[in-house]
This record gives sequence, C-alpha cells and structure tokens, in this order.
Amino acid sequence: MAIKIALAGNPNCGKTTLFNALTGSNQFVGNWPGVTVEKKEGKLKGHKDVVIMDLPGIYSLSPYTLEEVVARNYLIGERPDAILNIVDGTNLERNLYLSTQLLELGIPVVMAVNMMDIVEKNGDKIDIKTLGKKLGCEVVQISALKGTGVMDAAEKAVKAAAAKKFAPVHSFHADVETALSQIEAMLGSEIPEEQKRFYAIKLFERDDKIGSQMKTVPNVESIITEAETSMDDDSESIITNERYNYISSIIGSCYTKKNKGGMTISDKIDRIVTNRILALPIFAVIMFIVYYVSVTTVGGIATDWANDGVFGDGWHLFGIGSAAAEDADGEYSDAMNAVMAFVEASGDDALIEAMDDESEEYDPEAAQAALDAFAATVSEDATADYTLEDEETLATEDVTYTGADFADGVAVVEEYGLEAPDPADYGVWIPGIPALLENVLGGTPDWLHGLIMDGIVAGVGAVLGFVPQILILFIFLAFLEGCGYMARIAFIMDRIFRKFGLSGKSFIPMLIGSGCGIPGIMASRTIESDRDRKLTIMTTTFIPCGAKLPFIAMVAGAIFNGAAWVAPSTYFMGIAAIICSGIILKKTKLFVGDPAPFVMELPAYHLPTVGSVLRSMWERGWSFIKKAGTIILLSTIVIWFMTYFGWVDGSFVMLAEDQIEYSILGRFGNLISWLFAPQGWGNWQAAVASITGLVAKENIVGTLGILYSTGDASVYQNISAAFPSMIAGYSFLAFNLLCAPCFAAMGAIKREMNSAKWFWTAVGYQCGFAYLVSMCIYQLGTAITGGGFGIFTIISVLVVIGFIYLLFRPYKESTTLKANVKVAK
Amino acid sequence: MPLLFAKPGEAVSIKKISGKEEICRHLENLGFVVGSMVTVVSSIGGNLIVNVKESRVAISREMAQKIMV
Repeated sequence: MAIKIALAGNPNCGKTTLFNALTGSNQFVGNWPGVTVEKKEGKLKGHKDVVIMDLPGIYSLSPYTLEEVVARNYLIGERPDAILNIVDGTNLERNLYLSTQLLELGIPVVMAVNMMDIVEKNGDKIDIKTLGKKLGCEVVQISALKGTGVMDAAEKAVKAAAAKKFAPVHSFHADVETALSQIEAMLGSEIPEEQKRFYAIKLFERDDKIGSQMKTVPNVESIITEAETSMDDDSESIITNERYNYISSIIGSCYTKKNKGGMTISDKIDRIVTNRILALPIFAVIMFIVYYVSVTTVGGIATDWANDGVFGDGWHLFGIGSAAAEDADGEYSDAMNAVMAFVEASGDDALIEAMDDESEEYDPEAAQAALDAFAATVSEDATADYTLEDEETLATEDVTYTGADFADGVAVVEEYGLEAPDPADYGVWIPGIPALLENVLGGTPDWLHGLIMDGIVAGVGAVLGFVPQILILFIFLAFLEGCGYMARIAFIMDRIFRKFGLSGKSFIPMLIGSGCGIPGIMASRTIESDRDRKLTIMTTTFIPCGAKLPFIAMVAGAIFNGAAWVAPSTYFMGIAAIICSGIILKKTKLFVGDPAPFVMELPAYHLPTVGSVLRSMWERGWSFIKKAGTIILLSTIVIWFMTYFGWVDGSFVMLAEDQIEYSILGRFGNLISWLFAPQGWGNWQAAVASITGLVAKENIVGTLGILYSTGDASVYQNISAAFPSMIAGYSFLAFNLLCAPCFAAMGAIKREMNSAKWFWTAVGYQCGFAYLVSMCIYQLGTAITGGGFGIFTIISVLVVIGFIYLLFRPYKESTTLKANVKVAK
Repeated sequence: MPLLFAKPGEAVSIKKISGKEEICRHLENLGFVVGSMVTVVSSIGGNLIVNVKESRVAISREMAQKIMV
C-alpha cells in the first residue's frame, strides 16, 4: 500500500513550489471530479511508494469556497496517512489558523515553516522547537524556493504516517471544552476516537455539510445554545475567536518580531502600484508591454515562423538570407507585374500562355523567346492598365504601367531567367514540413497526398503554428502570477468588470484574445471564481482575433469599397457583445448563486524563479499541444474529406479545387443555406465559407476566393455581386465574428470548461447570439433604409425587445459565498 | 466608524463585523476578527487593500462599510 501524504496550506504560501521540489517531473495533473479545481498528484522523489497530494490552497476547513469543499472532502473522506502542513513564516498567525483545524482531524501532521530565509532577513525570529512543543507536532523549517529542508520535511511526514502518532489537541475556553466533551460523548462508535473532536467541533459550529458524512446526527442544539448564551456570541464565532486566542497564546513565546507595525516592501510597492491615480496608467503600460511582445513583435515573428516556415515552404536559419530573398522576390514580382500588364493587354493568346508561370508546361526558355519578340513591338510611351491582387486579403488595386516600366521589367525578369527567385538560394534555407513531406510523398496516390498535405498538415499545422506565441504569452502570465501582480490586476479592474458580471481578471483573457483566442481562453485559468471563469470563457472570443483580420479586410474591401470604419467597428461590436452577454448571462439561472463579493488576499511581491515560470508555461502549453493532436486532427480530416470529395456526374470522386460546388460540403451548404436567408446571405458559398471558417477563421478568405473566382470579374466583384447589400455583408461579417470560434479555440473551451454540458452551452450561446445579432442587423438595417418589410422584420423587432428586456430586467446580485458542489467520494 | 473611512497607514482595531453570515465567516477565516489590528494600505474608489495579521487582503467597498473599527 502506498503512503498518501496530503500537502495543505494557505494560498500563496509556497505550496506549489514545495510540491514541485518534492516530486520533480513525476506529476499527474488533472481536475477534482466534477469541478474545475486543479488536482495534482505526484510520487515523492526517491520513494516510489509515497504519493504526495497537492490540495488547493485554503484558509480554513469551512465549506464556503469550492477549494475548501474539495480539500475538506478529501481530508475527511479519503483520509491521507499524513498531512504536511506548509506554513508561511512571514505570516505565522493567520497560517496557524488552518493548522489548528488540521490538527483536529486525527491525522498525523508535520508542519513545514516556509520562507524562513525571508523571516531571518527581516530580523524576526521563530523558535521552531518551542512552536513544535506547544502545537504537539513535528515542526521543520524549510525554504521551498531554495529547496532547503524540503526532503527532510517529507521524510518526517513519512515517518509520522508510519508511526500513526496523533497530535495531542489544543484546548479552548473552559465553557467551550465542556460543550465539546458533551457532544463527543453523544457521538456513536461509528466515529473513531481520534476524529471525535473534529466532528464535535463541526457539530458545535452547526456546519450543515458535516451531517452528510455521518450515519446518525445527534441533536446537540441545546448544548450549543447554552454555550452561546454563556459566551454571548454565535457558536461559529466562538470557535474562530478561540482559535485565534489559542494562536496568540502560543505565538508570544516562540515568535519575536523586530520592527512592529513597520511597512514592508510589498506595502510600499502597493502604495504606488495600486495608487488611485497611478494604478490604471501602470496597468496600461504593463498590459501594453505584454500585448506588444507576445502578440505583435516576438510572438508575431514566432507565429509567422511557425506558420510560414515550419508548416509552410521553409525558413532561413537565424534569418540569414531572408532579407535578400525578400528583396529579390519583391523586385521580381514588381517587374513581373509590369511585364504581365503589357502581355495581357496584347491579347496574344500564345504569348499569354507561354508567360503563364503557374502552368505546368511553363518553360522559361520558350517564355524568354516569346517575351523578347514581344518586347521589340512595345514602344516607350505605350501604357497598359493592370489590376494587382493582394495575396492575403485578395484586395485589388488598379495601376497603369508605361512602356519604360515594361522595358525595365523585362530586363529584371530576364536577369532572374524568368523564374521567381527561390528563397532556398539565399542564406541558410531549411525546408518546412510540407516541403519535406512533398519529397517523401512523391509517388503516393492523389487522395493520400491530399489527406496528408491539405487535411492533416494544413489543419494541424495551422493550430500548432500558434504554439510559439502561446508559450511566450504563458511566460508572461506565469511571471505576472508568480510575482504577485496578477492579484493586483483583479483589484484594480474589479469595479469596472463587476458591473457586467465579469471579474477584474477577465480583462487579461480578452486582451490576449485579440491576438489569438486560444491562449486567451487558456489565460482564464487565473480567475479563481468558477462562475466568472465560465462567463469569461464564453465571451472572450467575441473580440476579433488575428486570424479574423484578413476576413474583415476582405469584407471591408469587397463589399464596403475599403471603408475605414469597418475594421474598428468589429472591435466595438466585440466589446458590446461581451458587455451585453455578461449582463444577460449573469442574470440567468446558469450563473446565479456563485461567489460574488470581492475579498482576496494579495500575496507579497517576490521574483519568481525561472524554473517555476517555465514549468507553468510548459504545463499549459502542453495541454494545448495534446489537444491539437487529438480532437483538432480529427475535425480537420473530416472537413477536408467533405471539401474534396463529392459526386460528379453520378459518381463519387475526389475533386479538384475549383469543383468545391460538387463536394459533400457544397451540397451541405446548399441544404442549410436557407437558414441564413433572414441574414441576407442565403447562398451556399457563404454557408460553406462559414463552415470552413471553423477550421481556422482565415480559411473563410481562402474558401470565398476559390468559390468566387469564376468568370472574368475579380473575386471582389463577384462577392460584391453575391451579397444583395452592404447590410447583408455586415450581417455576414457579424455572424462569422461572433459565432463559435475555430476548432482549436473550441478545443480550448472544452478543456477549460472541463464539462461537455458547459462546452455545448458556450458554443450554443455563441452561435445563437451570432445568428440573432446578424439577423437583426440585416432585417432592421434593410427596413430602416427602406428595403422592405417582412415576417422576419417583425421577428427581429421582437428579438430586440426581448434583448432589451434581458438587459434591463431587475436582478439582485448574489451576495452569498455558498459553493454547491458534489464531490465524488 | 466603518473601515471605509479609516486613514491609510493608521492602525485601527476591529470592533464589529456585520453583514451576511457566510461573508463574515470568510472574513474571519482571513483574520478579520474582533480585536485584531488592521491598517489600510491603499484605496481605489472605495475598494481597499488592508493589512491584517501580516497579510494584505483586498476587499470591496461594500465589505469595508460593514467592518466597524
């Protein structure tokens, strides 16, 4: 039988650091059954048969918060062989409050006083021996951060577990003791002798959850009332006061403080950082740095590298030669544009075909001969119009080239031998995974090639491409958490966010979500309150993420002629969606009754160790990578299959890119397109694009690009023609920005919610909200601009009325701290 | 007077805590018991950071109104 040792202590007392020091990499991280409180288990280094259990940080064994319930149920129900109680030496009095409760459980306790180095640095003294004697348990001093004394503490706990030595309990006021011994006498034999005191105290406190742990509950009301009258207080307060009295009585003889009442360094920092004038500017600067580094600069570069390099064509090692390759590429394509302007204007089909470098029969030498012959016929002052297309957003731009441009262009193009410069010729080139696989897959059938390249590599690659950025972000989050600033953020932002049902810490997921929704959703982990966290997860992806930007640019360009207000308006729409959803959802049954009032401890500022920051980053990053390998892999394969297979002329075949109309997805799009008729874009192309957007939002651009590149008109002209009005275009934009995010982000939601029911609630709410909002935009927008009035206009008006009712209906803010959870035993 | 009006930096003693029972308990668990000394470190719009039993605890304005010192 393995020995189980539970690690218990207040939040921020160094429990996780101690746990890591004791178990090393030998950990299992999961969740407590039924709740999203993290459960960590690990084997003690060098002791294969000793399991260390990391309990959530708690202040007391009362059943008021989720963490307390979880820890308490574990200690009472599972009964570990010993408790290693970690105590923050710089905050002895408050930490001992929990210790007095742990000592009552009838389980051997070893106390580890942490942060002894800081205590000594402050000039304070803790007499460990006297403390141990007074409490009646083994006490050791450790520094979890430096790793001193930790193994000694663990071994003492193992010994205590083997010896089954129970601590002699402390005593309270005589009146209380009388009452407790009376209750103890009433307890049946079902409760072991060593646990009787714990049950007696809980019954005395009128603890409403203790009854469920006992077969018969004795009626002790008269005993309690008697004690309450004689001590003139309610029973729970009596016990609390007795505990603190007891602590004061022992602490005096073993704890001496050097300078009483002086301000600590943390207090001094707090006076500046949480100052009423400076708090917000300091916060803004720190957030800007986090955002700037992790989303735009370093994170952006890392994501580009991962997406275009590792999962693209390839990359230049350490960037050697990439600038030269880019210059060459730019020079070549500029020149080629000038050349092609004249070539296409000539109307000479043979020449155009010879110059088509995307054709499979393209031969640079033949092209050069044809171009030379043609160049002789172009005069210096001739002009040609040409339409340039942006690769990413498919935006178009009209330019006019002169004969001189053409002559220069021909010279440049011929210098490159009429072939686009290969980046591999510059610097140190490392081919990407697709390029490497391409070599391996040379002779494989088309479907396998397609499955691997377009399905698996493209889909999973799109997700894994975000890993570097996510890791960078998690380093920042781990640092902000580790140094203690995260708790201050909650304090500073709380008054604003509390108004619409979110927590002060919700700001961070949303800010990060504007870069990528996945780390944004995962950043919600720092929110302790279950209700606030769920609400944050549900609303974070309303903010447009980086992948939605090409799509926004496309709609703005194609339907709104590039109007500058479209992009900013989507951010305002996202913010409005969050605020409205917060206000509506907090009034629903789903979110009622969970903790509301704001009380939280602010840990002392200290520099976290590199190891702890990296460990935290890795734990979070790894869970994301695992997700990409399972659920996301499966989803991308399904979508790929639906896109590239279908029926042509009665037979089921694999399709070429421009045959998407015949694919399963295309047919499906046709089937469901009527659903979006009230939104003003009930055509199958838009429906299909919305579905492919689920793989990755930037796919919407690619899909629309393929579906609308028919005929002579440009993609933009075709899109513009397909949507009846600008209002319909905005409705399409609104739907795709607000509805369920990409598979990767949905995977993150699933993981963070840790419950299928909550996952579907979140995704269902997002899709339903998006559907109604886009319908209202189209219907009411059309009615206001005089575009007709129909049954859906009336429905939309009703939806808006209902919406306003939900926003403003009376509601009483929950002020209870009850945690109604059932924890499986 | 309520803790809300205590001067920052000045140590005061808690006389009474009123309000919902659960919240009182939670405050007691954090060290807010009658007779203990607290110091307001800083305040933003009524939200306070309070020093109690050598730890810093952030509490909202509503809560600070219910703690009498």
